[in-house]
Amino acid sequence: MKILHLYYDLMNLYGEYANVAALKRLLDKNKVPCKVDTLSVGDKIQFLDYDLIYVGSGTERNQKLILEHLKRSKEALKAYLDAGRFLIMTGNSFEILGKEIVDAKGKKYAGLEIFDFTVTEQERTRDTADAVFKLIEEQERNKEEIGSDSENTHAKLVGFINKCSTIQGIETPLFQVEMGLGNEKAGQTEGIRYKNFYGTHLTGPMLIKNPYFLMKLASDLCGKQMKGDYLVHEKAGYEITLRELSKRMEAK
Amino acid sequence: MKVLFTIVVCKVLRLIGKMVGKGSSLPGKIALKICPDILDRVKLPKYIIAVTGSNGKTSTVEMIAHILMENGKNVAWNKEGSNQIEGVTTLVLNSATLTGKVKADILLIESDERFARYTFKYIKPTHYVITNLYRDQLTRNGHPEWVYNALLDSIHPETQLILNADDPLVSCFGYGKENVIWFGAGDLSTDTTEFDGVYHDGQYCPNCKMPMTYSKYHYNHIGHYQCEACGHKRNDTTYTVTSADLEAGVAVINEEYEIKLALKSLYNIYNILAAFTVASLADIDGKDIVPHINNYVLKNGRVVTFSLGNRKGTLLTSKHENSISYNQSLRIAAADKEGCDVVIIVDAVSRKYFTSDVSWLWDIDFHLLGSENVKQIVLAGTYCNDLAVRFSYTDIENDKIQILETVEDAVTYLNNERKEKIYVITCFSDKDKFLTRVVVD
Repeated sequence: MKILHLYYDLMNLYGEYANVAALKRLLDKNKVPCKVDTLSVGDKIQFLDYDLIYVGSGTERNQKLILEHLKRSKEALKAYLDAGRFLIMTGNSFEILGKEIVDAKGKKYAGLEIFDFTVTEQERTRDTADAVFKLIEEQERNKEEIGSDSENTHAKLVGFINKCSTIQGIETPLFQVEMGLGNEKAGQTEGIRYKNFYGTHLTGPMLIKNPYFLMKLASDLCGKQMKGDYLVHEKAGYEITLRELSKRMEAK
Repeated sequence: MKVLFTIVVCKVLRLIGKMVGKGSSLPGKIALKICPDILDRVKLPKYIIAVTGSNGKTSTVEMIAHILMENGKNVAWNKEGSNQIEGVTTLVLNSATLTGKVKADILLIESDERFARYTFKYIKPTHYVITNLYRDQLTRNGHPEWVYNALLDSIHPETQLILNADDPLVSCFGYGKENVIWFGAGDLSTDTTEFDGVYHDGQYCPNCKMPMTYSKYHYNHIGHYQCEACGHKRNDTTYTVTSADLEAGVAVINEEYEIKLALKSLYNIYNILAAFTVASLADIDGKDIVPHINNYVLKNGRVVTFSLGNRKGTLLTSKHENSISYNQSLRIAAADKEGCDVVIIVDAVSRKYFTSDVSWLWDIDFHLLGSENVKQIVLAGTYCNDLAVRFSYTDIENDKIQILETVEDAVTYLNNERKEKIYVITCFSDKDKFLTRVVVD
């Protein structure tokens, strides 16, 4: 497997580098040969050389820089997604795939136009929240995997949202919001999903915090069930965070 | 009449608050409700010194106040560290006469970064120190560039800026200003030419976003930087730590003033330098500053020594959600040649608000504890599993690490016959859970 950690230096605001490290360790433990490359602005990207590409979150200014850099590769990126290759974008990075971003001063930036949504930023308050999200299942997904049972709490992801934008016009969201912030201010759904593209505003090391989701993702990537017996503290940490957040939800 | 009434209410509430041990923000909050423009209606002293930044505000302000007062100045300052507009309002009204005149030569204010634009709308600082901008409490603050923008609104054109030249983002406040006073460090015994942290916020120029280079790093992205694309670079400094030896615990300012360090951290050096700079600008001679800052032990309770059974230890208050604050404490423990055990506690992330977010653990240079000086590591608290995972991504051997779910378990465990000194690294939210179970010196 070839993994690309794209914009590893510009889009690494909340410890996102750990997502790539978590994926690499899981593949290593399962004896799947795996190589990680890092590229950034100024580099030329051969998308189809990779099985999975990851981009984390950054400041609003850095997001505009990577948008500018990716503009020349917009067709190649679309072809990569249409081919069913994996793209994971967390935090504000996935916002660049829409039609347009309007910044806090009203300046408009044309997006990569792979999807139809639009993004509006503001600069008065930072919207932050702990999050509990439930993965929205597709009909064709294997019911044996996580999330097949509505009682199965492993279908829930925990994490944190830290943003200054709202997104309008996403028709295929990734998550149902149980706690936290959705794409739109009062929205009940979050993120975006298309084939093997996952976009979410969950910031930081989401694949560390959510070991079951990590295993699901890696299993899909490799086409076989990954074993995660070593993820002892990851699983315990996940259960405790879910417990703390559930207590918080009940108290409200 | 309204001014008189508001001041009386604030003073009475503060008095009652002090008797029952409450913080200092409530009286100001009520005063602002009664009279929203009260800060505009009081008479302020000629000198208003403000201090803000991610780290070191409280310590810097305490040292400035100490030096100024020891040199005969009458200073009103927010001792309790309530640094949002309510706390500052309490400070101002509590220091005022009933007619609304602040009885002090100097008003000294520590301000929260995000609230500075509200606080300084009415109170216009004559001198404004900005210490640094780091990743700090990102669950509330977003990120350093966000805080930078918020602070921009708090700077008045006539205010004298006093800036840390070694911080590339803070230096951007100097653009378009002619009379900035710059402070910074020249040569420190711990400087490096290679970057060794887990993230690098100085990799791209904050001014033009092109790659930036450093001739030396003091720590993290603080150092001597230059951008070839736009010319953004460290400014020459008027107040400079010309040399410092952390091991010996000595720093020299402007090649002349030697200061002994009670706390051997780079942080402390910057705080001392900022305090020295402000005191100099208040016309106090360097030789009258040094005696009051030599071996100065901060009163704000951030470093506490204790005994646990036969063992001795030091608790280093380190801000959760602030990797640079943690790194400074880790460096102190890792440099202790006598050998030590290190305890990291994350039981509640914050004392002020709820969050379960532990992303910030991934920004901390925990690999520093791989030092041979560190014999054992204890990870404790509700989030001990998250700590354990984070440590599993360092090259520190597993058998050096103990994982315990509660602070109580950690204290019980540590009460053993080991000879190593104990360093406890934790936050305001968790430190009392430890200190109430040991004997504080």
